[in-house]
Amino acid sequence: MEAKRPVDLEPSVRVEHLHVSFGGREVLHDLSAQFAPGEITVILGRSGSGKSTFLRALNRLNECFPGSATRGSVRLKLQGQWRDIYREALPLTELRRRVGMVMQTPHLLPVSIAANLALPLKLVLGLPRREIPARVAGALKEAHLWEEVADRLDAPAHTLSGGQQQRLCLARVLALEPEILLVDEPTASLDFRASLKVEELLLSLKERYTIIAVSHSLSQARRLADAALIFRDGSVAERLSREDLQAPDTLQALLEEIF
Amino acid sequence: MIKRLTSLAQACSWLAVVTTLGLVLLLLGFLGLRGFDALNPALFFGKTPAWAAITARLPVWHGIWPACVGTVTLVLLASLLAIPLGLASGIYLASYAPGPWKRWFALAVELLAAIPSIVMGLFGFALILFLKKTLAPQANTCLLLSAGCLALLVLPYLILMTQTTLEALPSELRLTGLSLGFTPWQNLVHILLPAGGRGILSGVILAVGRAAEDTAVILLTGVVANAGLPSGILGKYEALPFHIFYLAAEARSDAELAQGFGAALVLLLLTAALFLGAYYLQNTLAKAWKQKDLLI
Ligand SMILES: Nc1ncnc2c1ncn2[C@@H]1O[C@H](COP(=O)(O)OP(=O)(O)OP(=O)(O)O)[C@@H](O)[C@H]1O
Ligand SMILES: [Mg+2]
Repeated sequence: MEAKRPVDLEPSVRVEHLHVSFGGREVLHDLSAQFAPGEITVILGRSGSGKSTFLRALNRLNECFPGSATRGSVRLKLQGQWRDIYREALPLTELRRRVGMVMQTPHLLPVSIAANLALPLKLVLGLPRREIPARVAGALKEAHLWEEVADRLDAPAHTLSGGQQQRLCLARVLALEPEILLVDEPTASLDFRASLKVEELLLSLKERYTIIAVSHSLSQARRLADAALIFRDGSVAERLSREDLQAPDTLQALLEEIF
Repeated sequence: MIKRLTSLAQACSWLAVVTTLGLVLLLLGFLGLRGFDALNPALFFGKTPAWAAITARLPVWHGIWPACVGTVTLVLLASLLAIPLGLASGIYLASYAPGPWKRWFALAVELLAAIPSIVMGLFGFALILFLKKTLAPQANTCLLLSAGCLALLVLPYLILMTQTTLEALPSELRLTGLSLGFTPWQNLVHILLPAGGRGILSGVILAVGRAAEDTAVILLTGVVANAGLPSGILGKYEALPFHIFYLAAEARSDAELAQGFGAALVLLLLTAALFLGAYYLQNTLAKAWKQKDLLI
């Protein structure tokens, strides 16, 4: 799996001196990090250490909350071009489409399974009607969900199981053809088997995207991560390579450190 | 102890439900019983042939047809004025208004909600007097003025229902569309409004019902007992609630009183039809939304 990983990839996400606060309370302090394409970087850290907030800083979703303020620079390589998302006038809709986010809990639209994918395709990409069904099917296949839902595309999306809902959210994001994938605890409410399925899926996607995934499980990080960031109180306490993660003594140190 | 309290509370709520239902049924039964016999073509058209009356070739005397037409026109016109404005204000309050403004605006809406309809009627009347003396000497009370005052009267229902419905939507829903790259406008039109459709619909129903039954406002702003069909939005008109009020106050025979009950029943059916229409429209839209038919 990790056979053809280039040693020093040119990063596609550079975060420098990022500060995020809500209502004057600083949640992320002077955070700097880099992420490379074709890799999965897993973010680990205690509850409340700012993992979700960090992901939302990458697609400027924190701005949707009252009282949020962001300082610092976040530069993303989108379509081969570096964009400084807090300084340049890159349209928010364009940014959020290119930086796809799957949230901590499945955020479904209260419409049918197919419409959950079709609506963004129509509104965000402006795809003509006749191209949509193929695109929907393609994304569902990519998210390994097609076989399970092909015969009930018109059923309400909330009738899906938790794991299916997570994959539907992922499919919805993939349908928009993003370049960077932000995945917030994709397996938080899933059993082991369903988690493995989602992990497999992420691994199959990593060639084509820059993936940043939050996880609360160290064993999951070891299965998924090419690199791991340990968050503590709103900044990066440590960066670990894949080899570090596999070493048994780091494991012990980490367990004491974060959990 | 807690068990006893719970069962007491249960009993009370049952009693409340049964009382309400009972009263409504009693009212409907009474109206139905007294009004049903009066429900015939003569109630609507008097001695004028029905078709000639409907096509407005012959005037109707002693029938409620002109009042029915007047009420429907009035309600539609008032809705046309109030619904867009009410929805837009509710949306503004729920999603865009900055904090301090929002408080003042909400206060204004509450004040508006507290204005008795007779005062709203007086306002319309005073407005016409003012216009007569200043800008437009030929101005007079009319259908448009009534509709405008009614719209103002029902506006708070629409604003408050829209606002509270939108504010009650889960915040995740707001975030979902935005995280996918929807513009705020797309998010509103394609996600928030449809998701809040039921609540907004009940605001519309409240407003329409209130506009259909109100008598005090129209009394001072243009309704008359015998105008025939409304000649235009600047003309006088007849309306069912006023007709009922008039008959109830001045009935000189049992037949006239029966006509009053008949008219009341018709008003009830008319508003029920308007509600059903609104409900059906909302249902169709919601279905289309859920299945993406309308959208793509
Ligand atoms: N919209 C918001 N408004 C105010 N405070 C917020 C908001 N979002 C997050 N916070 C605060 O920021 C801090 C970090 O929250 P965040 O959700 O990023 O943590 P997390 O690391 O994702 O935790 P978890 O593992 O529990 O999901 C918390 O103290 C939280 O209270
Ligand atoms: Mg989180």
